[in-house]
Amino acid sequence: MPTASAIESTVQPALRAEAVCKAFVSGRQRTQVLAGLSLSINAAELTLISGPSGCGKSTLLAVLSGLQKIDSGRVLALGSELGQLDLRALERFRLQHTGFVFQGFNLFPALNAFEQVELPLSHMGMSRDEARARARRSLEEVGLAHRMKLRPSELSGGEKQRVAIARALAKEPELLFADEPTSALDAANGQMIIDILHRIAHTHGTTVLCVSHDPRLVIHADRVLAMEDGRILSDRRNHAPIIDSKEIPS
Amino acid sequence: MVALARKTLIYEWRRFLPAMLAVGFAGLLQLLQIALVLGIFGSTSLYITGSSADVWVGYPGTQSVGQGRSIDADVASRILMDPAVERVEQYLWVDGDWRGPRETGGLSVFVSGIDPSANGLMFSKALPPDLRQRLAEPDAIIVDRSDLQQLGVSLGQRATINGHAVRVVGISKGLRALGGVNVLCSLETARRIDNDPTDNGPTYLVAKLRDPAQADAVAARLRGDTAFGPYTTWSASDFASRSVRYWMFDTGAGAGVLFLAGIVFLVGAVITSQTLIAAVNGSVLEYATLNALGVGVAALRRVVLEQAFWVGALGLLGAGLLGIVLLLLARSQNVPVVLNLPAALACIALVMGLAAVSGLAAMRSLRRADPATLLR
Repeated sequence: MPTASAIESTVQPALRAEAVCKAFVSGRQRTQVLAGLSLSINAAELTLISGPSGCGKSTLLAVLSGLQKIDSGRVLALGSELGQLDLRALERFRLQHTGFVFQGFNLFPALNAFEQVELPLSHMGMSRDEARARARRSLEEVGLAHRMKLRPSELSGGEKQRVAIARALAKEPELLFADEPTSALDAANGQMIIDILHRIAHTHGTTVLCVSHDPRLVIHADRVLAMEDGRILSDRRNHAPIIDSKEIPS
Repeated sequence: MVALARKTLIYEWRRFLPAMLAVGFAGLLQLLQIALVLGIFGSTSLYITGSSADVWVGYPGTQSVGQGRSIDADVASRILMDPAVERVEQYLWVDGDWRGPRETGGLSVFVSGIDPSANGLMFSKALPPDLRQRLAEPDAIIVDRSDLQQLGVSLGQRATINGHAVRVVGISKGLRALGGVNVLCSLETARRIDNDPTDNGPTYLVAKLRDPAQADAVAARLRGDTAFGPYTTWSASDFASRSVRYWMFDTGAGAGVLFLAGIVFLVGAVITSQTLIAAVNGSVLEYATLNALGVGVAALRRVVLEQAFWVGALGLLGAGLLGIVLLLLARSQNVPVVLNLPAALACIALVMGLAAVSGLAAMRSLRRADPATLLR
C-alpha cells in the first residue's frame, strides 16, 4: 500500500519547467533554443530526453539543474524556484540536492576512485568517517569495491563512468542529472551505466534525468521525451516490465 | 578533507616543476644579492662592529664613519663625568695619499689612529693582541692581507702616507674597506700623518660602558651639551646602521638592490603564475564538475592558493639549501657575504609573496570552470 508521501511525490513533480525560454546570442546571431517549454519530471523514475544534437536537450538539462539562467518562465526544483536563488544559494542547493554525471568523466588524475567520491562529501560538512562510509557504500553499489584504490589512468572508460556515478550517488541526491553518460562507452559498458542509473531511480527514489541521443537507452527508461528544435515532440511511458540487472559485472 | 592540492602537486609534479624552479631561483637570487650587499656594505661599519666601544662621540650630522670631522678632545672629560662610562679613548680618522715602494699611482687610504694598548677599544675584535702591540712602535702600520697587491707593499717594507714615512709591521685580515684601503696605526703616528691644519682633535671619542645594555640611554643623555664645542653621541649599533644606511640609500646602491628585487619578483611571478594558470586550465573540467556538484568557488580558490603555497614553500626549501651551499662557498673564497635574520625573513616574505600573487592570478582562470560548459 503506497504511503501518503509516495502519493504526494507522484502528485508533486520533482522538477517542473513552466514556459521556459532560453536563447543564445553570438555576435548578431540570436538562437532561440527553448521557446516556451513546459514539462514535469517525476521522482523515482528514469526520464530520458532524446533527440538529435542541437535540439536543445543539453540546454534543457542545464536549465532544469540550475546550471544556466533562463530568459523567461519558471523552473521549480523540489519546490524551490531556481530563478530566485543567487549564485551562492544555487551552489548550496546543488550541494544538498543534486548529482551530476557528464559525458567526459572529469575525474582528477591525482586521486584514486575512493578519494574522487569522498572529495565532494567532505565539502558537505559531514564527518570524515561518515564521508568514508558513504564513499565505500556508493562504490560498492556501482560494483567497484575492489577498484577503490586505483587512479583514473588505471581504470577503463566504463569504470571511470561508474566512479563518476558513485561520486554523484554518494551525496544521496534527490535529483540526478546525466548528460550523454554512455556516448563515450561501448555497448556493454553503456548498458551497465544505464542499468545503474535505472536502479538508482527505483531503489533510492531519486529523480534521474538523462539526456542522450543514444537509441540503445530508450527501452531502459521509464519515460522518454523526444525533443526537436527546442520543443517536446512526444512523451512516452515504457510500460513493459523493466528487468533490473541483478549483478554488475566488473 | 581530501588533500586535492597536495595530491595533485605530487602526482603532477612535472607540471608544477617550472613554477617551483622559478620561485626557487627568484629566492636564491634575492638571497645572494642581499647577502652580498650586506657583506660589502657591512664593511662600512667595520670600524664600529669590529670595536668594543658602546657609545660613539663625533661631529654633529656625521652620516658615516668615514665622514667625521674633528671634535674637541676635552669632550672626553665631559663623557667621563657620566657614572655609566668606564673608559674613553680617542679615534683619529685621516684620509691619506699612499705611495708604496712600487709604483701604484694615486691611492687613497683611510688611516685609523687607535690606542694600541692591550685594553684598547678600537678594532679590539678585528685585530689580534700581538699585532695590536706592534702598533706602539712609531710609524708602524697594519694593513689587510687582501690589500697588499693594491698597495704594492709587503711585510716589513716602507711606504709613505701624505709624505710621511711608515712601515708595515703586521698583516691582518677582515679589515677591507669600501672605496679605499684601511691602514691602522697608533694615534701618535696618525697625528703625524695628518697634514690637515684644521684638524685639532680626534675625529671620534669612543666610550666603553659599565653596562653595554645602557648604550642607547647613555648616548641620549650625553647629547646636546655644547660647553666643549659641537659634538653628538650615538650608541654603537645606531651609528653602525647609520653608516650602512648611508651607503645603501644615499649612494644609490640600495635603490639598485630594490630595483633588482622588483625585477626578480616580476619575472618570478610571471613564470609562476603562468605555470599555475596552466595547471588550473588542465583541471578546469574537474573543477567545473566539483562546482556542479555544489562545491563552492571559494573552496576551489583555496585549492589553487594552497597549490601556490606549496610551490612557494618547496621553491624556498630548494633556494635555502642551495643558498647555504653557495654562501659557504663564497665565505671560503673571501667573498664578503653576510646574512642576518631580517634579511632572510625579507627573502622568505618576497618568495611567499611571489607565490601568493601567482596564486591569485591563477585563481582568475577558475572563472572558466563554469559547469554549464560541461553540457554540450
